[in-house]
Amino acid sequence: MIMLEVKNLKKSFSSTEVIHDISFSMDEGETVSIIGSSGSGKTTLLRCLNFLETPDGGVIKIRDDVLFDSNAEEPMSEEAARKKRLHFGMVFQSFNLFPQYTALENVTLAPSILAKGYGNPDITSIENRGRELLADMGLSDRMQNYPHELSGGQQQRVAIARALALNPDILCFDEPTSALDPELTGEVLRVIKDLAKNHTTMIIVTHEMSFARDVSDKVIFMDKGVIAEEGTPEEVIDNPKNERTIQFLSNYRNIQ
Amino acid sequence: MFFHVTLTLLGGFLQTVKLFVLTLVFSLPLGLVISFGSMSKISAIKAPVRFVIWVIRGTPLMLQLLVMYYGPGIMFHANVWGSGDSGRFVAALVAFVINYSCYFSEIYRGGIQSIPVGQYEAGKVLGMTKSQIFFKVVLLQVIKRIVPPISNEIITLVKDTSLARVIAVYEIIWEGQSFIKSAGIIWPLFYTGIFYLLFSGLLTILFGQIEKKLSYFR
Ligand SMILES: Nc1ncnc2c1ncn2[C@@H]1O[C@H](COP(=O)(O)OP(=O)(O)O)[C@@H](O)[C@H]1O
Ligand SMILES: [Mg+2]
Repeated sequence: MIMLEVKNLKKSFSSTEVIHDISFSMDEGETVSIIGSSGSGKTTLLRCLNFLETPDGGVIKIRDDVLFDSNAEEPMSEEAARKKRLHFGMVFQSFNLFPQYTALENVTLAPSILAKGYGNPDITSIENRGRELLADMGLSDRMQNYPHELSGGQQQRVAIARALALNPDILCFDEPTSALDPELTGEVLRVIKDLAKNHTTMIIVTHEMSFARDVSDKVIFMDKGVIAEEGTPEEVIDNPKNERTIQFLSNYRNIQ
Repeated sequence: MFFHVTLTLLGGFLQTVKLFVLTLVFSLPLGLVISFGSMSKISAIKAPVRFVIWVIRGTPLMLQLLVMYYGPGIMFHANVWGSGDSGRFVAALVAFVINYSCYFSEIYRGGIQSIPVGQYEAGKVLGMTKSQIFFKVVLLQVIKRIVPPISNEIITLVKDTSLARVIAVYEIIWEGQSFIKSAGIIWPLFYTGIFYLLFSGLLTILFGQIEKKLSYFR
């Protein structure tokens, strides 16, 4: 079943077009990896999906729900964008945990606020769910710690639990391990792999090629704001056809 | 004599503390309003607010006190301050509030702008509204960052209150100095220094406590 459909998405900053006419779709339970060189527009694409940026053109659809359509009559209000964002979760490169809250409070803050908005917050069950998520991330013994008391890998796992706590339809990762010391990337990649096994629908921007190959159902190679090549990991990573994909991947082969 | 001096100085100190407390009560919140003005996206708000901040921070408080007290009467023939001691006190208070609001607003602005944009974005993607992000995510981080500069400013205010004497607000130094003429003694002036030291020492301890309270996160 199709979960996400993106059609003819465009985004410019002042006069430079950063995303040119991107279209793709993904099924429920799929993991899609986006690879590509720095500056190719990967972050901007994720930010458009999360409405941190308003696209200049195109359509974004989740299931049958049109979240964004540049041909719509009126521009999207702040309040509408806020509701639509909840379809997506976002894990940032730099974690962006809230420093004044414990790991558990980071996870439960947004669900509690939302539940209060609906009038009957069941704080106990929100907390239980937070504990469960942190346990899934291997952080049972770190729930009461503040972010500065955690390693980068632990902070990023808290950030993943925080995003999952709102049950997003699609979880987006923007280079989740790029800010980490090499010996800490493994623990983060491992929990993402577990999520993939449990069929969490995910879009992952990453430079970890072997991870992308293992975890993805589909790989998208972006270059200069367009999708230059897409397909299964075997197609795109192991047997790239596009000249630019071959060029890009050769950088990684040389290192390995 | 000692008893008499103490009593007189306490009277002056009462004026000092009154001016200090009332200045804070009004200028701490007013500073926040001014800081929002100075960060406004609308330049018709931002430009004049920044201009006023520039003028107030760029001229001596002494000058502002004199202009505030004598200005309205001489320029507009308007007796806005009323007569006598209370009139002079109100004029001094207004000048202090305006001056300190501008200083506080710059500290607030620095604190608010120092919060990484990632904190706002994390709040947004978690479905929080702008005000929820401000109150639940940003505010405490801002407070933590501004406590040290604000406490510096507040301790400066303790001493700045003595400037009010230029428009004859009988604060503690005025009272201390009066004994030079009336009794030919200087020690009451040193005595006033002790009042200041105790007061600012107390505040230093208080702000140290607040900083410690907020040290549980980074
Ligand atoms: N807010 C912005 N304002 C102007 N230019 C931007 C902004 N964000 C990104 N860009 C530009 O858009 C291009 C794509 O950036 P980005 O999406 O971050 O690429 P990637 O994540 O693939 O490295 C870059 O050239 C970048 O400089
Ligand atoms: Mg990027």
